[in-house]
Amino acid sequence: MPNTENSHSKGNIVMVTDGASIPDPRESRLINAWSIALAGAIAALLALCLFWPEPYREILSYLLPDGVLITFKITVLSICCAVPLGLVTGLGRISRNRFINLLASTYVEVIRGIPLLVQIFYIYYALSRFFLVSGTTSAVIAISFCYGAYMGEVFRAGILAISKGQSEAARSLGFNRFQTMFYVVLPQAWRTILPPVGNECIAMLKDTSLVSIMAVPDLMHCARSFVGTTYLYFETYTIIALIYLIITLILSKCVSIMESRLNYYDGK
Amino acid sequence: MFRKITLALLALTLCCGQAVAAEKYTVASDCTWPPMEMLGDDKQPAGFGVEYIREVAKAAGFEVETLNIAWDGIFGGVATGKYDIVASSTTITEERKKQFDFSDPYYEVLQAVVLPAGTSIKSLEELKGKKVGGQIGTTGIFVMRKANVGADIREYNDVGLAIQDLVSGRIDAVICDDPVALYYVNKKADYAGKLNLSFKTGDPELYGFTVRKGRADLVAKLNEGIKKVRESGTHDKLIEKWMGAN
Repeated sequence: MPNTENSHSKGNIVMVTDGASIPDPRESRLINAWSIALAGAIAALLALCLFWPEPYREILSYLLPDGVLITFKITVLSICCAVPLGLVTGLGRISRNRFINLLASTYVEVIRGIPLLVQIFYIYYALSRFFLVSGTTSAVIAISFCYGAYMGEVFRAGILAISKGQSEAARSLGFNRFQTMFYVVLPQAWRTILPPVGNECIAMLKDTSLVSIMAVPDLMHCARSFVGTTYLYFETYTIIALIYLIITLILSKCVSIMESRLNYYDGK
Repeated sequence: MFRKITLALLALTLCCGQAVAAEKYTVASDCTWPPMEMLGDDKQPAGFGVEYIREVAKAAGFEVETLNIAWDGIFGGVATGKYDIVASSTTITEERKKQFDFSDPYYEVLQAVVLPAGTSIKSLEELKGKKVGGQIGTTGIFVMRKANVGADIREYNDVGLAIQDLVSGRIDAVICDDPVALYYVNKKADYAGKLNLSFKTGDPELYGFTVRKGRADLVAKLNEGIKKVRESGTHDKLIEKWMGAN
């Protein structure tokens, strides 16, 4: 395992991910990238609905209650499954048991090598000859398995970033390995793990737009269905982009607030 | 010297221009709608609609090149001028007429409801509370919405996926144009004996070629071609070829 990660044990590891950027919790200025983006998106949405109620308000009322709820439902269920799965995978990846380690590593390798869209198709259509699951269920299964693998790597890195002295100290005080992990290492590791996990959750929300191929009426699917009747491509997809942007911006702020709470003592 | 070269080039372009006498238009077809538009064994677009537009072009003296474009977005492409014609079993509807221009009708279909073998319905009302699939943005979906019988309408990317879900038992019915329904019920070996076409709606729908609003020149050419294809008997030959054995 890379030793370089051990040297940063303060919880300020710079993680490079492809997810949304979490606003820096220490950023106190009023005008920053996050607030500009959020204010701009909300202003654009309001302006469109106020000045051109036809067709923008109509589009919004078609999309808003149902589509967003289903998108949220899939995202929340997937997060509930993916985070524990990621934790188990991360622990498996650093396990000293050869079998568990191999199992977790193989899972990560296999899942990371298959595009999410292919996984969704596979679970929904290819496996339908063995068992039938509804669109929403297969979406949750596919997204959880996919992101569980990515989060496993995040958990592994976060746990390895905690200085070895911590677990050595705990072990010398009589904690067993389980207690060391759950009472000493993980609570500290959580601070490094949270931002990238938050990132993954936001990426997850965006990736739920893939489920529209299974005729699950999520936000994206509602938009496509609306376009299919009215042919207002520009207007509908503008609204959709703004809605997704507003949701992800709000979520990234939530992650940022949680991060600052966890890093409370860093500021002192 | 430059003038000579320019002149020579001009002359050359003129010659070429004459050599390529016929105008060429690009046509978009969504090849997931057998037997109207589908991919042939050579992975090239084939089917009734694809051959029909070729015959129309031949009769009216222009050339066409068919592109396989996904249905979801096919109208966006013609509106922005990515291609000139949509020849994809497009029913002429009032909604669509507001945004696009259509040629004269070239074929007439009904909406058909496909059910698992052994089940049947006599009216759309019997689909109340059932899960009914169809292709997103097609007239089958519009008919179901308009009938408003309280069915759970599922919109799939293409009708093949809806049929697949019908066969595997996730949904109770699929609604689509009747030639397509007949194709899946009778001609698709994988689904032999598993499906039943039990109901067709009463209102006929007319297929037309779709062009961008204001392309009267192209509409005139298409209409001329359609007229000639009908008169020459090619129309019936194509129907016999693609729908004959149903």
